[in-house]
Amino acid sequence: MSTQVDTDIALPPRSRFHIGDLSLRLVSGLAAVSVFVVLVLIAYKVIDQASAAISAFGLGFLTSTEWNAVTDQFGAADLIWGTVVTSAFALILAVPIAIAIGLFLSELAPRRLRAPVGALVELLAAIPSVVLGLWGILVMGPFLEQHVEPFLSDHFGFIPLFSGTPSNVGVLPACLVLTIMVVPIVASISRELFDSVPGDLKQGSMALGSTRWEMVRSVAIPQVSGGLVAAVILGLARALGEAIAVSQVIGNSLARPSSIFGSADTLASRIANQYQGAATPLQASSLAYLAVILLVFSLVANMSAQLIVRRIRRRMGV
Amino acid sequence: MQRFRRSALLMFAAGTVVLAAACGSGGSSTTTVTAGGGKSSASSKVLTGAGSTLVYPLVSQWEPDYATKAGVTITYGAIGSGGGIDQITARAVDFGASDAPLSADQATACKGCLQIPWALGATVVTYNVKGVPNNLHLTGPVVADMYLGNITSWNDPKIKALNPGVSLPSTKVTPIYRSDGSGDSFVFSSYLSAVSPDFKSKIGASTQPPFSTGTGAAKNSGVAASVQSTDGAIGYVAISYIAADGLNQALIQNAAGKYVTPGVDGIKAAADAVTSVQPDGSIPLVNPPASAATAYPLSTYTYAIVPKSSPKAAELKAFLTYAITDGQQFGPDLGFPPLPSAVVSSDKTEIASIS
Repeated sequence: MSTQVDTDIALPPRSRFHIGDLSLRLVSGLAAVSVFVVLVLIAYKVIDQASAAISAFGLGFLTSTEWNAVTDQFGAADLIWGTVVTSAFALILAVPIAIAIGLFLSELAPRRLRAPVGALVELLAAIPSVVLGLWGILVMGPFLEQHVEPFLSDHFGFIPLFSGTPSNVGVLPACLVLTIMVVPIVASISRELFDSVPGDLKQGSMALGSTRWEMVRSVAIPQVSGGLVAAVILGLARALGEAIAVSQVIGNSLARPSSIFGSADTLASRIANQYQGAATPLQASSLAYLAVILLVFSLVANMSAQLIVRRIRRRMGV
Repeated sequence: MQRFRRSALLMFAAGTVVLAAACGSGGSSTTTVTAGGGKSSASSKVLTGAGSTLVYPLVSQWEPDYATKAGVTITYGAIGSGGGIDQITARAVDFGASDAPLSADQATACKGCLQIPWALGATVVTYNVKGVPNNLHLTGPVVADMYLGNITSWNDPKIKALNPGVSLPSTKVTPIYRSDGSGDSFVFSSYLSAVSPDFKSKIGASTQPPFSTGTGAAKNSGVAASVQSTDGAIGYVAISYIAADGLNQALIQNAAGKYVTPGVDGIKAAADAVTSVQPDGSIPLVNPPASAATAYPLSTYTYAIVPKSSPKAAELKAFLTYAITDGQQFGPDLGFPPLPSAVVSSDKTEIASIS
């Protein structure tokens, strides 16, 4: 290998001025830095706005269920509850479906079907959330009220979560709308993950006499588990932060419901609903406090995803 | 290759400059369009406003009329009363509009704002119960009990007693309220606070009353849609939404014991009965005295909110004067009765103090 870097034919000398290289470095560097700057500025501004509420309510804000613009008392407990319940429920429903779709598209579907079905799944992700919310109001809500919720309360009414009067808005429609939003994200990532499993591993497993299911369970899924966790966390982030579609179907209630048929509210939905036209300065600040909580939620979710991915990689020796 | 890259970069730079220039000229051409026509003495020919959706139908009549008469373009964003107060507090617009007067906190934050009653409107109680006809009779305390969760079914004896001859089903009562800051919420909760001590102590009057039962929906249109899609719903909307969306209206008993149809006559009767202006410039109209036998009890003034000192003081004064005088002629057709003359004259004094 030649060490003569100063000849004209090999790489040009570093000292020569290249407007192309320079601008590439400048533009891409600025783009990378701007992400960081924007993130810091947003976090700073949100915390700054929330400071009045933080000093007024402190950490008690997290456990207080009061949200009263008349007495100027605010707390996030009901909203944290709504956010956690809707997101968790959506994930529980969406993840098995999404991974099944990914597996189907990558391992099981006839070749002719893979491209069109894959495209359809990704199209689902392209539906604007406000349109999905509208569908929730017009189609899904009434359907749940007339068919699904009566069935649930008739057969599972002994569980308090499934008791109560059916309603066309509430926690259940919100969970299902979120499920629909989470499925395509997790499905398309898990499909690519399964596609990335080396063919000789799969064939080797099959050659040793595994069934397809045994191959998936013992080769494909362990191989991509880190990526799957990351995909699920991405879906979780989507569910946590969704404001518009949720506020269209969740009923925007100020109190916590006793069952999943009742109206509730989430952090993001409350911010979207009330930020414009807050009745008092403290209310505006409390809404910013909700945004801080939401930021922390997403940050924790993302960081734990990275941690998990790293740990699994290390364990697998990759 | 190197030369090609450089020229590509140059073209990119040139393109950016051209684009910027195009945007710049686009912006300036808009300015010329809006500034065209009318008097040439005023430095700026555009007034921007934002707020109340209740007053929007009236403002949208003023926009073209005032453009021809005075050559000033009015740009109004119907973003809701609370939003209007935020915008004028931030001085992002030249005037705000709100159905609820400024609270003490908001007045302080707004730093010297005047609130000028410039139109009359009303909030109407609406409902959707299968098999129940329009114009159901209700009283303030009964509506309060429904929103407090004390009355939970439509065949409650308290509702039956007010509506002899109407067959009421046992459908569950679902109260619908505004999830955003709203002048209609303020009128509604002020009225219920005035007639029900229980409501006043548990919930109180606010643009965002802390209702403990029911379902929230955004904006008048959201409440209207939610009422229409929920059997057993009771809600409240600005008067213009009743006819526009074909909603049922409840007739609310006034202090004189009469069930008054919400409309121009009932609102006018309420406005004629209450003419004393509060120190902050507001005129609370809800629950007018029994002497006004035909008054509709959930009537309200809607206010223009303007800074006492404005860089566009001259244009603002001229426009507000137009709104409370010539502009009122568009009102009756849209459901806004004309302002009483006593209010017009007190408005004029307030407008004169803008500088």
